[in-house]
Amino acid sequence: MDFVLDYISVNTFWTLLFIVHALLAVALLGALTHQAAAVLARPRAGVGGLVARFRSVSGPVYVTAICVLWVCTFVLGGWIYAKYRIYVRIPIEQEGLFKTLGAFELKEHLASIGLGLLPFYWHLWKNARNAAYDSARKWLTVVLAVICWYAFLAGHVVNNVRGFGL
Amino acid sequence: MSANPETPSTTPAASRFETFALVFGIAFGILYVVCDLAAWPMFTYHPGTDRIDPGYAPARRDEGPAMYWYGWLASSALGASILGALAALLPAKIRGKIPLSLAWMVPIALLPVLLYSLKFYWRW
Repeated sequence: MDFVLDYISVNTFWTLLFIVHALLAVALLGALTHQAAAVLARPRAGVGGLVARFRSVSGPVYVTAICVLWVCTFVLGGWIYAKYRIYVRIPIEQEGLFKTLGAFELKEHLASIGLGLLPFYWHLWKNARNAAYDSARKWLTVVLAVICWYAFLAGHVVNNVRGFGL
Repeated sequence: MSANPETPSTTPAASRFETFALVFGIAFGILYVVCDLAAWPMFTYHPGTDRIDPGYAPARRDEGPAMYWYGWLASSALGASILGALAALLPAKIRGKIPLSLAWMVPIALLPVLLYSLKFYWRW
């Protein structure tokens, strides 16, 4: 990747990488929230408001995109994580913001556990017509959506604390 | 998404991939937490110097922090892959008895353990 640094500064490179990571996370959050809403509250016939339309998506359509987005967001996050450890975490430690650091540690743990669940989640949604999978599919989707929301918010808070320009 | 009423509603014999994916997902989470608590990374990465040490290695003086997260992921993935593959080899009768609900129950059960493992950070 060194050739990139002939054109942009090191700070710009890592900032761009972080923005891509954040944009992927937004897309993942949106897709998983749609899917979780669809499994938690099935739309009722004749109700056509915004909420009903939000949850009336076809869950199986999202599954491959969600798995790809989770992996891509995770890989980019893992790449940035080494820089975070030196240039973000240490200053936050020096400021004594330990709860912020703890919230971020929990994010990395939960996102990792979620990563391991993706193959089974994919399998459940690829067999969405099988009623025997309904309960597991529903609750696993909800758990992954909650993890995604938590990871997004924890990452957002850390970014607010430290900001851009590593 | 709920089932189409015209589709089968009984549990089919679990396929080998289903068993592998289920056991992999459950084992990955559990092993990840165990590796975290027991300090069992497959390797240690020192981001300040780009050095990689096998297993657990403490931070070196004047070389910045040590990172274990990558090593925990590798250890967990290896262990979960082995357990998943072994489970997939079980007879179909036994494979079908593994509760699917463990996939979402295990992460919830691990949450208090993770919160406890991070108790250092919850100081007031």
